[in-house]
Formats: sequence, structure tokens, C-alpha cells
Amino acid sequence: MRFARPSTSARVFVVVLCVSCTACAPVQPWERGRLAQPQMALEADALLSAMDQHVYTSKEAASGGVGPSGGGCGCN
Amino acid sequence: MGAGDTAPDFELPAMGNELPMSLADFTGRVVYLDFWASWCGPCRKSLPLYEEMKGEFPEDRFEIVAINLDEDRYDAIRFLEKHPVSYTILLDPAGTTASQWQIQAMPSSFLLDGDGQIIKAWAGFTSSHLEEIQNEIRSSLH
Repeated sequence: MRFARPSTSARVFVVVLCVSCTACAPVQPWERGRLAQPQMALEADALLSAMDQHVYTSKEAASGGVGPSGGGCGCN
Repeated sequence: MGAGDTAPDFELPAMGNELPMSLADFTGRVVYLDFWASWCGPCRKSLPLYEEMKGEFPEDRFEIVAINLDEDRYDAIRFLEKHPVSYTILLDPAGTTASQWQIQAMPSSFLLDGDGQIIKAWAGFTSSHLEEIQNEIRSSLH
């Protein structure tokens, strides 16, 4: 089975992608100020979401798969 | 950074007068050093409690130093206007000190002896930490 050779632009794209990946760095605990803002929370109201999930679990006899809660501020 | 390590020195501007302060300025005193930010819930809870705790120990032998890591100092100023404290607040918006001290959680705090050795380190803050912190300070002052 033969494959077509990748074009030059495809190769350049892969190289740029690899180089860009080196720029990724973990967010340090003290750099999470923006993540801790209320508008960054995945749920507008954590308590209401927990109650909704409780009802859903009771009605459907199933739980999980609904994503994390909280805003990811890293405060314990 | 943990117990037994030598605390890395730093020089940071103090909130209010902008005068640079270093850890060496507190030599000879037991220091409770806290890294905090105004957006961090447990930090907001702990700072007023530290203010109460400060009064329990002799001023000439014990010091609380809180390093603020907010990117925007006005966030810290707004918080401190609502919850004023009398201990030293230093500003490190770039987080250089936090990086140097290898902070793993917010808040993080350290108890240092008069020679700048770390006696104990805490990551995070809960109400149960406070009694432990007070006991450690008492032991180190005796």
C-alpha cells in the first residue's frame, strides 16, 4: 500500500504546530486570578447544579458525565 | 520548600509606602510568612484571622508578613480596605517570590525561625490550620 507524500505546506504546518507546543506551560497556582472570576465558572450556580444533578440521578438512576464543578481557581 | 530548608531571601515593596523590604529585615524574630491573593477564597478567610492571631504574640519577637500575588495591586487594596490588617503586606505582582519559594497551592504559608530556617510549611488554609499554626508559633517562641 502506497501513501502520497505530504505536501510542503503540510510539513510546514506540522513543524509550526510542534514548535507552538513548546510554548505551552502549566498555569501556576498564583496565576489563576482570571480563572477564579465568577464569569469563568462552568456553572452559574454550583448549588443549583448540584440539586439538578441530584434530581437527575434519582429520576434516571444514572449519574456522572456532567463535567466538573467550580471555577478552577486552585484554592484547594 | 519545607521544614528544615533555608528560606530564600527576597526584596519586595511594601504596600502603602513602597519601601523595599527583605526577609533579612526580620532576622531575630519568628516570622509567619503567607502568600495570598484577593481572588483566592481561603486567603480571604485567613487574612482577618491572622490579624486576630497577631495580637496573641509579643510584637518584638513575632512578625506576620503577607506577600500579595495579585496581578493588579488595586484588587488587593480593595480587599484590604474592607478587611484592614496591621501586619506587613508586600507586593509581588509578577509572582517571582512565589516561583522562588515553589508555591504549590494558594494560600501557602511558612513559619520561620529567627535565623531564617523554615520550621513548618502549610499548603492551603482551613479553620483547623489556625490552631496548628498558633501552637507552632507558641512552641517556636519558647
